[in-house]
Amino acid sequence: MSNRPSKSNSASQRVRAASNAGKGRSSNMLWVGIIAVVMVVGVIAVVATRGGGSPGGGAASPSGGTVVPNGNLDNGPVQVKGAGLPQMPTAGPDTAVGQTVPIVAGAQFDGTQLNITGDGQPMVIIVLAHWCPHCQKEVPLVQKWLDEDGMPTDVKLFAVATSNSSAKPNFPPADWLRREKWSVPTIVDDKDNTAGNAFGVSGFPYFLVVDKEGKVVYRTSGEKTKAEFDAILQAARTGQALGA
Amino acid sequence: MTVDTFSLFFGLLAIGCWLGTTVIVSGALIRRFGNPNAFETIRFDVGRVALALAWLVAAVTMSGSLYYSKVQGYVPCELCWYQRICIYPMAVILGIAAWRRDTSIRIYAIPVLAISILISAYHSYIQWWPPSSGTSFCSATAPCTEKFVNEFSFVTLPFMALSAAMFMVVLLVAAKSQSEYELPIEEIEVSS
Repeated sequence: MSNRPSKSNSASQRVRAASNAGKGRSSNMLWVGIIAVVMVVGVIAVVATRGGGSPGGGAASPSGGTVVPNGNLDNGPVQVKGAGLPQMPTAGPDTAVGQTVPIVAGAQFDGTQLNITGDGQPMVIIVLAHWCPHCQKEVPLVQKWLDEDGMPTDVKLFAVATSNSSAKPNFPPADWLRREKWSVPTIVDDKDNTAGNAFGVSGFPYFLVVDKEGKVVYRTSGEKTKAEFDAILQAARTGQALGA
Repeated sequence: MTVDTFSLFFGLLAIGCWLGTTVIVSGALIRRFGNPNAFETIRFDVGRVALALAWLVAAVTMSGSLYYSKVQGYVPCELCWYQRICIYPMAVILGIAAWRRDTSIRIYAIPVLAISILISAYHSYIQWWPPSSGTSFCSATAPCTEKFVNEFSFVTLPFMALSAAMFMVVLLVAAKSQSEYELPIEEIEVSS
């Protein structure tokens, strides 16, 4: 409180005077400056983004029949036969284990039909979202492992590209998966995410392990290591959940 | 105007918040440890406008948040909601405080903004470096790790919230109360 006026002992009259009337004016100038800066920022934003379209089309798709086929379907028709699975719980026992997995019929990126069904073979279904950073990290890893070890001959591998939205990053999913040379047969989900919901997806990337009788063995989500991915394939083969 | 325009606008304002914070904190440090009378005029002016400016920052932050969720349809994630809970009320209570020039609001506002800063910092962290294990923050409906906005490769939505909350705290600390608004007085001794 040192800026309080001190009391004078002299027989004098204290007169208060505004010594610096210009200070009120300088505050107004500060406001003018702030508003001007905000307006300049607005003009910069408008000018800098004027005429800016979406990034140009992706590079030419890599050749090779095993990679994601040509086509840029963002959403496809999906049909589900059978009861959908409940969402995977974040904790506690998974009630979907032992439940029969529905058959999902849909379209790939080029519109050709694909049915996700084991038909007496075990299968692993990977559900992906183009905007999910975990999926963006996991897809090239899984593809690398498949390139090194070859596609498993005794376990069917399928994928679902779901939650597709042009308002979200890394769109469209077809460009992304083509870039990664993704070789797993993939269904493009519809706008209601029917396929993803039918498989009980709760987070990405999502792995649904199904035995040869078409029943859920194990479900998991998140990025996986090579050992974990191999264990997922093994769980499908044996019908035994990890650690069981 | 496209979402890119708005994102660049809000991104530049976020950087402006950091510049403002740096300038005010630097000035305060110089006054405390160097020359106590340095920047006297600008200190006085900043103190006068600080409360109103803090309210303006809160109002713009809330407007931007509503623009992204209501106009662009970005679904707020769980962490976004916690930050909203902290910042939205500021657009009202800081306005009232600025009107009344009541700096005692800082006792109530700064702790709430500090919570918001902690959440925003964590949210920014997991967006820049997504955790490799688990996807509890990558839910199907509202993923916390998704960068809807990524201006200059680092200004994300939680980073914008972090910048705004931090600037508001600094402004609240710098704000002058009603009595301090009064112009400096000069004593003139008049012989009786």
